[in-house]
Order: sequence, then C-alpha cells, then structure tokens
Amino acid sequence: MTATSTAPSGTAPASSTHSHAALVTSQFGTTAANYVTSAVHAGGPDLAFMTDIVRRRSGGRVLDMGCGGGHVAYHAAPYAREVVASDLSKDMLAAVEQQAAERGLTNIVTQQCGAETLPFTAGSFDLVMTRYSAHHWRHFPAGIAEARRVLSPEGRAVFADVVTPGDPLLDTFLQSVEMLRDPSHIRNYSVEEWQRTIEAAGFSHCTTERFRLRLEFKSWITRMRTPPVMADAIRALQEQMASEVRDYFAIEADGSFTIDTMVMVARPA
Amino acid sequence: MSATVDPKLLELLVCPLTKAPLRYDREKQELISDQAQLAFPIRDGIPIMLVDEARPLD
Repeated sequence: MTATSTAPSGTAPASSTHSHAALVTSQFGTTAANYVTSAVHAGGPDLAFMTDIVRRRSGGRVLDMGCGGGHVAYHAAPYAREVVASDLSKDMLAAVEQQAAERGLTNIVTQQCGAETLPFTAGSFDLVMTRYSAHHWRHFPAGIAEARRVLSPEGRAVFADVVTPGDPLLDTFLQSVEMLRDPSHIRNYSVEEWQRTIEAAGFSHCTTERFRLRLEFKSWITRMRTPPVMADAIRALQEQMASEVRDYFAIEADGSFTIDTMVMVARPA
Repeated sequence: MSATVDPKLLELLVCPLTKAPLRYDREKQELISDQAQLAFPIRDGIPIMLVDEARPLD
C-alpha cells in the first residue's frame, strides 16, 4: 500500500476553524500507510521492552491506545488473548486491520474513539499500553485518567512517548520543530510531568526506562508529508540554535537529530 | 471488513460520555446511550464511538 493521493498535504489555512480532533484525523488520514511501514515505529528497544511486558503477563486483554500504525498491537497479539487497537483516525484503523490480516493476527479488533473518552467498561483491560500517541491528546490528564479507569485492579499501564529533557531551552526547541513538522502535535512532556500526571490519576509509578531515538531527517519529514516551507523552517531553526541545543539533540549536517523517549510502567495505586 | 459488530467488542463498549451500558439497535445499526440521549452509528460493522458523529435522540 502506498500513499498516492495528490491532495495538498498538511497545512490548514489560517482561517481554519476545525477542531484539534479533525486536525489529527486529517494529518494521519493521508499518511496512515507511512506509519505502518515506518522503521522508527515498527521497531526499537522501547517496543521490544513493551513486548516483553506483554510476554511476561501473557493471556490477558490488551488495549493499544492511540495505536497509530498498530505496532504495539502487532507485537502484543501473539501473547495476548485479545488486543483492542483504538485510534481517532478511521484511515489509520483500516490500515491496521489490513496489516493485522496480512500478518495472520486474528485477535486484534479496532475501535475508533478518542483517548479522553474511551468507550470501554471500567477495569476491562489487563494491560493498557500507549506509544507515541499522548503528545497528540487534546487533554493529556483526561486520557491518563481514562487509561486508569479501563485498567483492571491487577493490571499494568505502560506509557511510551517522546519526552522533553525538562530544561526550558531544550524543551522549546523540541516543541517548535515538532509543531512545524506536524500541526497536530500538542506537546511532549518530561518524565517528571508524566509521573505527576499518572499519580494524580490514581496510578503508582513502577519503573521508567529511558531511550534515545535518532530521527533521520528525510524520512521523518516524508512520513508526515511536511510541506517544504515547514521543513525549511526546521532546518533554519536547527542551524541557528546554540551549541547546548545542537549538542544535546546531536543535530547532524543533514538535519537528522536524536531525541529522548521513555517507557513508564504503572499500576493502580 | 466484517459487516457485523465483533461480539467480544460489543460486550466491552459503554457510552464514551456517561460510561453507562449501551443498547444495540440491530435494525438501525446503532448503539444507543439512553442517559446521553445519543445514538452511535455502526458502519460496516464498526461502532463509531465519537460524540461528534453520534445522532442526538429526539
């Protein structure tokens, strides 16, 4: 499956009145197939770490919240009784269903819904997992509260995302390039913010694993079909950054750079 | 894509707003939330659990 649409990508006009949800849906509607094939999304030590958690607690029902290209769902399915892959984007879910069928994974069901308004019975999942999704949620604490609500009393929540270093200089750079690339980006949070938010929602923090993730500039831009004017702005911003920023994110000559990610495991408090 | 709702999924579903159980209207292919007075459409066997796409009940 290839994205052959000739529709102009990305940027909404300044007068746009559409909601954040509509923006997320449109950003990921035209790019759904790219997220199924993306190497950054399809693999990595964070995904291996998450898969290991499912393997150790095998046989349960797993929710992949904001599943995107569905990679958590595909990796969890062999060890789970059932995986529910939920996402705001119908096109993304159609791509996930097709990919699950191609992989012969018959225990994945998809559900279109928002992270902040999950349509599932309380306590129905043994594992609630989310990866590279929370930075798109309109209401981050509400999404975390929903993860808590649908988790079983003995269950575990596993939160994975890009995290900010927690230093304002570095944080502002990260948020700026993220939003230039993808207007549906809201914000990456620091590990400390994550921990405060999950604890406020009734979770106990278990562990946090940190990882570094190199983003190859060209594929990072192509995947989201970022318009050239925005990609150029990212390059210009990178070139003007102070050495602290360039060093921290290991900004390379071609614009590739390296960011922080984490996997946080929590249980009901 | 299957044309009927996955029964396992149907068991799990509640109203995204009130979290109350839903009524399955087989004929209209809708999931009804009596409390929220909303009908969530089922298209091609897939329940669309988005408030923006739900039909308000008269």
